Amino acid sequence: MMRKGNEIMTSTFETLSAGDIINGPKFSVSRESIRLFCDASLDYNPLHLDDDYMKGNFGKTNFGGIIMHGMNNFGLISRMITDWAYPAGAVHRRLETRWVKPVRPGDTIQPSGIVKSKQATANSRWVLIDVAVRNQNDEKVATGEAMVEFPHR
Amino acid sequence: MAQADAFETDFWKDANSRKVWDDIVPGEPRKTIPYTLTREAIELYCRAVGEDHPIYFDEAYARTTLYGGLIAPPSIHILLMFSCTPADDWMRSPGTVNAGQSWSYHVPARPGDVITLQARALDKFIKRERLFVVHDNVFFNQHRDVVCSGRGWTIRPQ
Repeated sequence: MMRKGNEIMTSTFETLSAGDIINGPKFSVSRESIRLFCDASLDYNPLHLDDDYMKGNFGKTNFGGIIMHGMNNFGLISRMITDWAYPAGAVHRRLETRWVKPVRPGDTIQPSGIVKSKQATANSRWVLIDVAVRNQNDEKVATGEAMVEFPHR
Repeated sequence: MAQADAFETDFWKDANSRKVWDDIVPGEPRKTIPYTLTREAIELYCRAVGEDHPIYFDEAYARTTLYGGLIAPPSIHILLMFSCTPADDWMRSPGTVNAGQSWSYHVPARPGDVITLQARALDKFIKRERLFVVHDNVFFNQHRDVVCSGRGWTIRPQ
């Protein structure tokens, strides 16, 4: 993909600029990965476990089978941000996300981010990053925004 | 799974004792319970989302970092939300659909921390025939430091 051209590994506040790309690793979603997330998060909502229950309707929505926890997306984005921030001595401070499409067993999803802006405040420095998770069809399944602090050391 | 042993994983079992949308009072605190975060629970969570940074696993490495020891990933609040609430908490109602969340992070959670939660429904509304509740949450460690605070939007089952 063309965006790999300006992908950045270790960043400093000074060298970062709007449009810089962050890519997280791909994640294969399976019934087993969803079950593991149930055990790790203690979220045993039948949305993620019970195929018969998921044949029913949720208001106007029919998912047609079990779906991945939305917060699994959140965890993947968070991992991408921290793995990017740690080598720079930066700190993941905020993540806001919305789920836009369900994710199902068999899907492969990947988080990514684009630096939107950076800003200095009275005592610190901040980078805002637009984040998204896409599936194997390049459809966005989650979108959001992260804020990373680059403290003065 | 060790941590699930004392945890009711059948979310149908207490379904009738949980508040439905109509009963939820914005502003009213939710019942919460303290939870001791273990290294085992952190490692299991890491495995589920593919976290492999040594700061979560390698104590000798973690001591050399500015954190001075092992920490949990920021998103550990995903686990804490369920470990710090009782079986009749309405977040467990089958069919609860998560629409989005926002979280701010202060100090990291660490293995051995005793985590407490202050939580409430903040707002409820109806949009396109869907029943929404906004919940807000603050997690603290045993020193009363804020670990993280967050807000979530869920669509309630009808």
